[in-house]
Amino acid sequence: MSAPRGGLIGSPAPRRKNRELLTGEGTYVADIRLEGQVYARVVRSPSAHARLLGVDTSEALRVPGVVAAITADDIDDIRIPIRLPFAESPEANAVLQAPLAADVVRYVGEPVAVVVADDPYVAEDAAELVSVDLEELEPVLDPATSAESSRTLVHESFGSNTIGRLAYRYGDVDAAFAQADVVVRRRLRVHRLAATPMETRGLVADYDSGSGGLTVWGGAKVKHFTRALLSRVLGLELTKVRVIEVEVGGGFGTRGEPYPEDILVALLARRLERPVQWIEDRWEHMVATNHAREQEHDFELAAGADGRMLGFRVRGWCDHGAYVRTQGLLPVVLPMVHLPGPYEWQAFSMDLDAVLTNRTPVGTYRGPGMTEATFVRERMVDILAAELQMDPADLRRRNLIPAESMPFSFMPGPGSGAVMPIMYQGGDFVQAFDQMLDGAGYDRMRVEQQQARADGQHAGVGISAYIEFAAVGPFEEVEVIGGAGNVVVRAGVGSLGQGVETALAQIAAELLDVPLTDVTVEFHDTAEVPQGFGAFASRSTVLAGNAIAAAVDEMRAVAAPLLGCGPDDVEFRGGAATAPGDRSVGLGDIGPTRGRFEKEGLTASFGGAVCSVSVNPADGRARVDRFALAHDVGRAVNPRLLRGQLAGAAAQGIGGALFEEIAYDEHGQPLSVTFADYMMPTAAELPDVEVTIIEHGSGSNPLGIKGGGEAGMVGSLGAVANGVADAVGAGAEVLSSSVSSAHLWHALHRPTGHDPGEE
Amino acid sequence: MAGWLDPYESAAVTLTVNGASREVRVPPRRTLADALRDAGLTSVRLGCEHGVCGSCTILLDGTAVRSCLMLAVQGQGHDIETVESLADGDGLSALQQAFDDNDALQCGFCTPGFLMLIESLLRSEPEAGRDRILEVVSSNLCRCTGAVPVFQAALDALAANRDDP
Repeated sequence: MSAPRGGLIGSPAPRRKNRELLTGEGTYVADIRLEGQVYARVVRSPSAHARLLGVDTSEALRVPGVVAAITADDIDDIRIPIRLPFAESPEANAVLQAPLAADVVRYVGEPVAVVVADDPYVAEDAAELVSVDLEELEPVLDPATSAESSRTLVHESFGSNTIGRLAYRYGDVDAAFAQADVVVRRRLRVHRLAATPMETRGLVADYDSGSGGLTVWGGAKVKHFTRALLSRVLGLELTKVRVIEVEVGGGFGTRGEPYPEDILVALLARRLERPVQWIEDRWEHMVATNHAREQEHDFELAAGADGRMLGFRVRGWCDHGAYVRTQGLLPVVLPMVHLPGPYEWQAFSMDLDAVLTNRTPVGTYRGPGMTEATFVRERMVDILAAELQMDPADLRRRNLIPAESMPFSFMPGPGSGAVMPIMYQGGDFVQAFDQMLDGAGYDRMRVEQQQARADGQHAGVGISAYIEFAAVGPFEEVEVIGGAGNVVVRAGVGSLGQGVETALAQIAAELLDVPLTDVTVEFHDTAEVPQGFGAFASRSTVLAGNAIAAAVDEMRAVAAPLLGCGPDDVEFRGGAATAPGDRSVGLGDIGPTRGRFEKEGLTASFGGAVCSVSVNPADGRARVDRFALAHDVGRAVNPRLLRGQLAGAAAQGIGGALFEEIAYDEHGQPLSVTFADYMMPTAAELPDVEVTIIEHGSGSNPLGIKGGGEAGMVGSLGAVANGVADAVGAGAEVLSSSVSSAHLWHALHRPTGHDPGEE
Repeated sequence: MAGWLDPYESAAVTLTVNGASREVRVPPRRTLADALRDAGLTSVRLGCEHGVCGSCTILLDGTAVRSCLMLAVQGQGHDIETVESLADGDGLSALQQAFDDNDALQCGFCTPGFLMLIESLLRSEPEAGRDRILEVVSSNLCRCTGAVPVFQAALDALAANRDDP
């Protein structure tokens, strides 16, 4: 009998799939070619807000090769629903999007028609011949004024541009402010960003009139929800709809939610009884796929002269764009639960509005809500540190919730609305914070900063600390099928390029004591995986991993009577279940088992980031010279993949702070619709991100895992903004999460030290 | 000389791809990237179709070019290479192996373009120094890794090539 293998959970196992991706063999949705396939092109609104007087497709239909052109008149009056019950409200449900606009267009890029042709070039030509008759309306463009004073309504029938107001009260905030020696107040702005995976969205749908079945390729993230939605919209039985995930070129929260196109392509495939392919182009992607992050917050922070942070008040406006999409009110719900962060407040008061503007709808992008909230709070903490002339690290350390107070909660008090209570299960924030600073060499960073300043450079150090809530339920179920030399795990999560199949294989291989290469993880096809919730909120490894552990326990229970022992005496050794003595039964003889892991609430993890920044005042360019982050992942299943996730997320955040911004002009025309305008960082603009993995375990699941796929983003905007603020000092006040050269140059060259774009 | 072609008419073009010559019929406005993809070379990936992201990078007579910015008819008479040509049977090339070792890929969408970009550097400037390698690597975009690991892979691949060309 061989010794248990062990050690696979926590090992830097190489990522699966790499060979296929390195040789170009991976199949992405645009690579699918079916017999008789036709190509869809969406006609989109050129206006931010207008009455839609008519859509004329007759000229497009005359183009040789065009097989169909549809408008809202050709489809049922449906709305795309909210996916998460806790992100719904009657108000949000009143402003959902139809697949095609009928009477009013509400953002540039809103679908108004679809043209289908036998060649994608012809489809594009014909789409340009669709005539869209518009009567322009005033656009609503600013989140704060949208709520407070706009004369124009984004949805006239709803009667307001505010679709929700969340209130959270904890402690006696007036008393906290009354005790304060110092109060700092600012209005902070979080700028509009986009996830921009390298692969745009795309779909292929095929309807088989013989069997009455619909197959859709290109699903991702929430395949089972998409399947249920398509089954309802098309009036097909659930078992007749199959959603298949192929290789995915990055998701980051935006890909794989059902969008208007998912419904349109499926409807067209059934109507035409031909396979229909739709591949988004980059211009479309920049206006059609969810945007993220834009908010404004009036924040005041009360503290004692000794640096004890007593309380805060925040009034914020969170933009949802022109419609509420599948993620519902998450753009306002998530910032709220993340605003208090890791500090031991006596009291706070939060009021956040969900507002509408005539721009592309806002959804979730890696680290949603938490990245915005962390920027706002952490920027204010640094403003307080400057006011008190304290070191920002000392100020934070003094206020972190101590380990002996765990578990900790800010239970909502009187005056709160229906909000999720903010609860932290565990962790040692002070220890983790110091581990991050030691890992980065914080003291040395400060010495180097002083040296750089002595040389006349504008050098800064920026810090942020955060709480990330992740690993949302309600549950995942997996099936584990044992066999000789082959164990199959079927899971309802998804892979968006993050390598979840490798991590899940490690868990199954360790628990069953089989070689890693013997484990196959299947998650691609809803026909084979009966249910699942998907890949979001850094939940896949936590939920499906623990479900695998449950399925292995079930195998133990099934094997016990076969072996004539109790389940606790069953051990897995080398592909068999064994009992004390010499008895064993092969995994293949145990039969498939199912495991289910249910999870209530969210798991909180602590983390932070520290960076060195230099600014060239002549052109306003900031450079992040070093970026070090730490994140408590509970237990790292695969530290190598985790590092890749954390560093990659941080790279996106650094790009978001320094270069990227979805800008609009005063007519609501988007100004960032190509990669020449929406500038993502390259290797030349990024540091080699340094990662410290903290493993403080977690009592909330048997494997002790917390989320890790998004965390690298969470502290990034705050740390970079604080580093830039430290570098420019009194030269400019940093009040926006965008510290691009344009914003910074304006701020540095105006006597008020403010960027006009922020006012 | 033949007259002008209508957008919907096709021209016969002979493309030499990865050492094999193939005749394709393409409308004159079809991009080289689309024509290669239509011919089954789907490692040529389209991330922006306006020449910024570099996911469609191929070698044209040994030089890295954006195939989304060329027409298929311009490919006539040139020697085209795509990532399908890099691996030697079951074995990865040293450059591909350097990507694997440095975790220089996650979703894999941008990977073939980066590989061809750096392959061109390996052949044309084997002595390239760190700054030049960074300059070349920063031609393309990688959203998953930020491309710093791609830069590390390129450094390793060029160093290994100098030691053992």
